[in-house]
Amino acid sequence: MISGVDRRLLVHANWPLLGFAALLFLAGIVNLYSASGERLENGIRVAPFFYRQILWGGIGLCALILCTLFDYRHLKPLAFPFFAVTLLLLVLVPLIGVRVSGAQRWISLGFFNLQPSELAKISTLLMTTTLLSRYQSPLDWPRFSLTLLIAFLPCALIFIQPDLGTALLLLMLTGGIILYHGIRLSILKVCLVVLPVLPPLGWFFLLKEYQKKRILTFLDPSQDPTNAGYHITNSKIAIGSGEIWGKGFQEGAHHLLRFLPEKHTDFALAVFSEEWGLIGSLLLLTFFCCFLLCIANTAREAKDRFGSLLCAGIFFYFFWQILINIGMVVGLIPVVGVPLPFISYGGTATIVNCILLGFVLNISMRRFMFKAR
Amino acid sequence: MHTEVFTDGYQPPRMGQFLLYALVVFLFLLFVLRFWYLQVLHGEYYSRVAHDTRTRSERVYANRGIILDARGRLLAENRPAYYLTLISEDCPDIPATLAQVSQWLDIPPDQIRIKYRQGRKEGKFFEPLVLAADVPFERILQIEPQLFLWPGLTVETRQRRYYPQGELFAHILGYVAEANGEELKADEELRLGDIVGKQGIEYMQEKRLRGIKGANILEVDALGRPLTKYQKALPKAGVNLTLALDIDLQRAASQALGEESGAVVIMEPDTGKLRALVSHPSYDNNIFTARLSARDWASLAEHPRHPLQNRAVQSVYPPGSVWKLMMAGLLLEQGLDPRATVSCAGYVSLGSRLFRCHRQGGHGQVNMMNSLILSCDVYYYEMAQKVGIDAIERFAKACGFGKRTAIDLPHEHSGLVPGREWKLARFHEAWQRGETLNIAIGQGFTLVTPVQMAVFVSALLNEGKLLKPVLLEGEEPEVTGTLPLSAPHRAFILEAMRATASSGTARRISRPDAVMGGKTGTAQTVRIGERRLKKNEMEFLHRDHAWLVSWGMKDGKTYVVVVMAEHGGSGSGTAGPITARIYESLFGPLTPPGRQQVSREGGQP
Repeated sequence: MISGVDRRLLVHANWPLLGFAALLFLAGIVNLYSASGERLENGIRVAPFFYRQILWGGIGLCALILCTLFDYRHLKPLAFPFFAVTLLLLVLVPLIGVRVSGAQRWISLGFFNLQPSELAKISTLLMTTTLLSRYQSPLDWPRFSLTLLIAFLPCALIFIQPDLGTALLLLMLTGGIILYHGIRLSILKVCLVVLPVLPPLGWFFLLKEYQKKRILTFLDPSQDPTNAGYHITNSKIAIGSGEIWGKGFQEGAHHLLRFLPEKHTDFALAVFSEEWGLIGSLLLLTFFCCFLLCIANTAREAKDRFGSLLCAGIFFYFFWQILINIGMVVGLIPVVGVPLPFISYGGTATIVNCILLGFVLNISMRRFMFKAR
Repeated sequence: MHTEVFTDGYQPPRMGQFLLYALVVFLFLLFVLRFWYLQVLHGEYYSRVAHDTRTRSERVYANRGIILDARGRLLAENRPAYYLTLISEDCPDIPATLAQVSQWLDIPPDQIRIKYRQGRKEGKFFEPLVLAADVPFERILQIEPQLFLWPGLTVETRQRRYYPQGELFAHILGYVAEANGEELKADEELRLGDIVGKQGIEYMQEKRLRGIKGANILEVDALGRPLTKYQKALPKAGVNLTLALDIDLQRAASQALGEESGAVVIMEPDTGKLRALVSHPSYDNNIFTARLSARDWASLAEHPRHPLQNRAVQSVYPPGSVWKLMMAGLLLEQGLDPRATVSCAGYVSLGSRLFRCHRQGGHGQVNMMNSLILSCDVYYYEMAQKVGIDAIERFAKACGFGKRTAIDLPHEHSGLVPGREWKLARFHEAWQRGETLNIAIGQGFTLVTPVQMAVFVSALLNEGKLLKPVLLEGEEPEVTGTLPLSAPHRAFILEAMRATASSGTARRISRPDAVMGGKTGTAQTVRIGERRLKKNEMEFLHRDHAWLVSWGMKDGKTYVVVVMAEHGGSGSGTAGPITARIYESLFGPLTPPGRQQVSREGGQP
């Protein structure tokens, strides 16, 4: 009987989603091999993070499977305690956190450095979706304010670490979920008026000098005194010089991308586009879009509001990262430290991505359960 | 199994669902357009930028400031040196190139490979890394014609520091050498292979001497061949320094010290300017600017007499009887009548211990003037018991002892003025009365540097100003403290020194054409036994340190000369003739010359 249920679960799983995710991860691994290769006296040495990324992928796969084993609705009662623990950890970071190159983001657990802001991504997502799943009608002012407030708490704590990228991502993520759920027209109108005012306010009251510099550099790279516009310029040269067919595997990185210090993390796409050209770039872009569409489909097919909202939240989580990272690499927006899912190297990010994928699969697997009775 | 069938009627938000699909379409269109714009529309342009030309920044080294003596003669200069460097990104076959370099220069291939790996780890991309520094010119002549066969290799002309005076100024100038990992990390201006000051003035004045590197922008083609070169920033040469020291005086003082280990300080009391600062034995600082061989280093570091040590500022010695100048000052300031006498029987007993005077039979009735001229120990044993250790400690510190003189040389020793608190902290023991007696004659724990002594004696002559010893010619005098001695008391001590130089223990330095003053000191390094042993009866390391602090005035010029001969024997016997010879170079040789001959053979006074 149980095996029968299991088989039905497997049949209903969103296999295309898993397929596109696997394709993207594979492309990331191949690209990492090329991006991290270093020319030495005798041939090419591959940096250890190539192997480590494969290991992270394996760990991520286990996490993904674990996340599909239980009914996702069991997450609802866990959302609040999880959120509270995350907030507590975020408060602890400035007190007992480890400081790495000016930013205090980690709590040392001895064998492992925990980054509570990564946990915050999952817990804020769960918290807001659980909250919104209780409301049927479009949000009115009190409910809207409450949701925003809940998102603001972790955002503020992450912002002071300082980690502008993650704080903004959380905020945009919550905004996306709220929009998906629906709000009253009057609130939308007010938001449309207020939002353009916020950036200047943030500029004067919140941003640090180096963050302002990045934005100024983006607006006028030639005015840059310390070569901070160098990344963008070189990234554009790398991508552009790939032309239609690209320079070929391992042919690009050794020329220009030596100039890119983050070529295996935030600027990994530049390496990819240089080596695989327009064809490769568009293929990768298509993979990403199909991947996002698969998540959107699951959101549509979910059997309850919680499932839909969770899928939508995960959609926005990936969407914003893809938009910001590619936008940065192709020189459309300023340099913000946001990785490209599956393509950039990063252990924690890989695992978080896999856990969220697991949630989506979980929702897709159980979308027909009530009809099975 | 599941009961939540009531969710059956759930419909996802239509607008929300529409938003998701719209966003995906937006993402796709936006980036398709952007990739098309970059890779197709401008692809050719970016290709050209990436392939055909690229620019590279090249450093231009600034000339390090040269160092001159007071009369404008060279103490440190720059000579051209040839460096073989490699830009690994331009090199198609690195192992072959390294092997070729090792063959050219007769350096083991392993050594070159280590150098390469180290450079690779620390250097930036397209930065030339130094494979061999200071290659001889003849070798460069052989290599140069073949260099075009080896892309990536270049000969760079940089500068190498050279010290024409070598050993004579080694302790003062110090030396320069390649910056090590720590220095590279601490100073962002530095790059692998850069030269920095490691010791002496080269170290202390590093920022002024170094100058600012310039930069050239090189445009290179795909093979790394430079196409055009234009200047982005001119290098700014370092500041040239003129020292207050004088090569002739330095040499004379060094020759006067002869084979003795020790130090000589010649200071102008009014300005604090140092005219000579000798430390023996010395070393040739030029060996540090080239590649220092392990053998050279070992022979320097393990030399029993520590040639790297600058004895004038980095070594401390018990001051011995020279300390009595300070003690006499203290007694005067305490209101003691200088005419009061003490009866010296050759020893003082305190409890079960016997404190001996250096003269076995004793000096008889001794007043303060005579106590200095004859250097009677008993006088100070008696007086010290009256004033006590606390007053001595306070006064000695006010005279500039026990703290650094602020001379611009690294690792200056502060010396030591002991006291109750210090002893408690250091040994967890209470102060003993007997120790006060030892301190009174400059023995026991008391330690001073020769330069501190010169500053103290200068203050007696310049109305009580404790001056920072000045090494640079242009520097203004800097008062670091005031001697707590009134003018009549200073005059009394100077008079005692004058008398000591004319008829006392320092009479070896007297000369008819100048007013001289002095005070000898014979500082024990081991406890005195039943009687003082003669110099040649003792092992070298057990011999006494010989001090002579002195001043001389002639033709309106005043100099303070401090001589310290480490394990040299007695102050008058060893330091006396050395000091006399130094004054000959300051004030001219003595006439008739016959007299010199006689006294040199005359032995110990």
